[in-house]
Amino acid sequence: MRRFGFGSWGRKERRGHFVKEDFYSMARAIPGKKYKIIKIDGGCRLNSRLCAMGFMPGEIFYVSGASMGGPLCIMVKGTKFAIGRGMAQRIHIKEA
Amino acid sequence: MAVRKITVALSGNPNSGKTTIFNNLTGLRQHVGNYPGVTVEKKTGMMDYKGYRINIVDLPGIYSITAYSLEEIVTRNYIVDEKPDIVIDVVDSSNLERNLYLAAQLMELEVSLILAFNMTDIVKKSGKKIDINLLSELLGVSIVEMVGSRGLGSKELLEAVIGEVNRKKKKKVEIKYGEEVENEIEKIVAILKKQEVPTFNFDRKWIAVKLLEQDREIIDTIKKASGPKYLEVEQTVSSSINHLISILRDSPEVIIADARYGFIKGALLETYKEIGPEKLDRTEKIDRILTNRILGIPIFALIIWLMFQFVFTLGKYPAGWLGLGFEKLSILITNVVPQGLLRSLLVDGIIGGVGGVITFTPNIILLFFAIAVLEDSGYMARAAFVMDRIMHKIGLHGKSFIPLVIGFGCTVPAYMGSRILENKKDRLVTMHINTFMSCGARLPVYILFAGAFFPAIAGNVIFSIYFIGIIMAVIMAKILRTTRFRGESDPFVMELPAYRIPTLKGIMIHTWERAWMYVKKAGTIILAISILMWILFTFPMIGNNYSQDYKGKIEEIEQSYQSGEITCQEQEREVAAVEAEMAGERLAYSAAGRIGRFLEPGFKPLGFDWKMVVASISGVAAKEVIVSTMSTLYSIQGTDKGADSLKTALNEHYPPLVGYNFMLFTLLYFPCMAAMVIFKKEAGTKEMLFQMGYTLLLAWTVSFLVFQIGRIFI
Repeated sequence: MRRFGFGSWGRKERRGHFVKEDFYSMARAIPGKKYKIIKIDGGCRLNSRLCAMGFMPGEIFYVSGASMGGPLCIMVKGTKFAIGRGMAQRIHIKEA
Repeated sequence: MAVRKITVALSGNPNSGKTTIFNNLTGLRQHVGNYPGVTVEKKTGMMDYKGYRINIVDLPGIYSITAYSLEEIVTRNYIVDEKPDIVIDVVDSSNLERNLYLAAQLMELEVSLILAFNMTDIVKKSGKKIDINLLSELLGVSIVEMVGSRGLGSKELLEAVIGEVNRKKKKKVEIKYGEEVENEIEKIVAILKKQEVPTFNFDRKWIAVKLLEQDREIIDTIKKASGPKYLEVEQTVSSSINHLISILRDSPEVIIADARYGFIKGALLETYKEIGPEKLDRTEKIDRILTNRILGIPIFALIIWLMFQFVFTLGKYPAGWLGLGFEKLSILITNVVPQGLLRSLLVDGIIGGVGGVITFTPNIILLFFAIAVLEDSGYMARAAFVMDRIMHKIGLHGKSFIPLVIGFGCTVPAYMGSRILENKKDRLVTMHINTFMSCGARLPVYILFAGAFFPAIAGNVIFSIYFIGIIMAVIMAKILRTTRFRGESDPFVMELPAYRIPTLKGIMIHTWERAWMYVKKAGTIILAISILMWILFTFPMIGNNYSQDYKGKIEEIEQSYQSGEITCQEQEREVAAVEAEMAGERLAYSAAGRIGRFLEPGFKPLGFDWKMVVASISGVAAKEVIVSTMSTLYSIQGTDKGADSLKTALNEHYPPLVGYNFMLFTLLYFPCMAAMVIFKKEAGTKEMLFQMGYTLLLAWTVSFLVFQIGRIFI
């Protein structure tokens, strides 16, 4: 699960390509704030699924809650979703 | 007038109110089954309208028809293979953009589509406006406004269905994926044509889109059917994908999804007016409390506790009445049917077995009522959210917690309750470990043995058994998750639907279906197993091969009563004692007794003798039967003092270590036949056999270790 996710992204971050642009993974989102989805890094199956649920690049979402170390609670396209940390790590976001 | 038959498939997003509309249309004329070969539920219903016989199929709730989940594949295959006359897509109107995504995919499949815009009351209340006529024009499909929760719009929907069936010329609105993608689609269509790749019932363009999206199911199907010819197709597709990634900087599936959303947004732009800014709605306010970091888990615990009380405390009364009813029935049969095999079969075999199972029905009804309320109100998703972190650690889903708790009451509803888990692996692991949540029927066994061997600390001993069960569940969940059920578990993304007040009708239908399925099982397969168990415990019959002359003994007692040496009570007691001894010998002589003796060497290393083995076999019928079998084997007559004299007998025959070990064995080996039958129904024969095999092995191993290691110290 982690193969495509945080690992490759982390490497890029270390090389410094994305750091300047303030991208980071959704797992680090803070409740009460709004963010924009930049990229989804889930492999084609998961990407299709997330797209169908409304998680599209460019979409603005709102983080309404989080349990410690557990799933995040976010609002996207008018619907609330609980999203696990592992999954959240594959979604790259930016503050909106 | 000839009746014209039409088939209508009902699809829609989860939480779009699809099931409510289905219930409104069909009422109780429903049939629940499974799609062939998979555990996805298939609901069908029938209705007559204006000379049409309309067969309605309720497809599973899905977000899209990619091949992400079993439900999605089932839906797609149904639509493509069965070709329903009409597909209705139920849409949550308060959330059009996301809900119309599925509609867009259905349009790609070129089905005769009708959109049912549900929950239009919420839209109106929030001050939004939808121009239905214009939207219908832009999308090229009929739209019907509905309020499913109040039963509005069903007639209009049926009218639309009939209108659509009779429509001669179909409108067709195509979704444009953008020039770059369209070019690649054309290339792939050309190669598909050139290679004469079989297209099954699909349109070539549709296949091309799916190949670009790298839909695993479609790729596999096409590959298999076209053999070596596929190689060139594969090359074209992968070069197209690389081309798209290089110029558009995103993978094709995202670009195509974006095009679909673009199509929807374009249509909504002119027809959908949103007034006022976003506001903190009711759902958000409730969630602030229910999914609160600190309060979330205590509230969850409280709700589960209430549910447990509701199911088992309230259910105790009707269950008691049913039990009493069966008792009365056996007395009636005892009075009417003469003593002999037939009476024994009716009373001990059938009423004892099936009656015991039917007695659980009130609990089952209440449980599914409670689950339906939790699900329809929207809380179930929150429960999973709250518990996910803890359950995740042992490789389970947040929702697994609910069936596990129910398991402390009874394993049967717990297995059925595992249905709330959509992911098959999560569901199977939850079911496989559920038996270690020690059910209520095992408690009498613990009370007997703990009372016999550890009277002073019985409570603590029983608690330790329950605790070991939980530990075993955690360990086995870990082991199963890393071996047999390994692999990518569903990444956790789950919709938290808006809170709603559930409709009584929906809950009633839901509860009824499950309860009926349970009763049906009791009447068929459990009846058969009960009779089989009875045969095992009755045949071969001992005839006159008793070791002592019991008949003579009874006659002696009768004589001494008549001569006035003993009182009436004394006579009754002594006769009962002799009869109990006879019953013990009969049981030892029966097939079950012989099996027990035959298996005894296998259980010697656990410290068990053949009587314990026989009792464990009888526990397959129902775990509490172990107690009554033990008393028969130790020739204890069923009086008030019976329990005490049985305790004394056990204490004389076994060391405390063996007593404890037997409790452990009872905890761990597979649950009763009613539970196993339900397991088979829910998960298939293979999984049921696995459950029986591995729990038996585990029970043996644990008891073996405890006895062998314990022996060194004691």
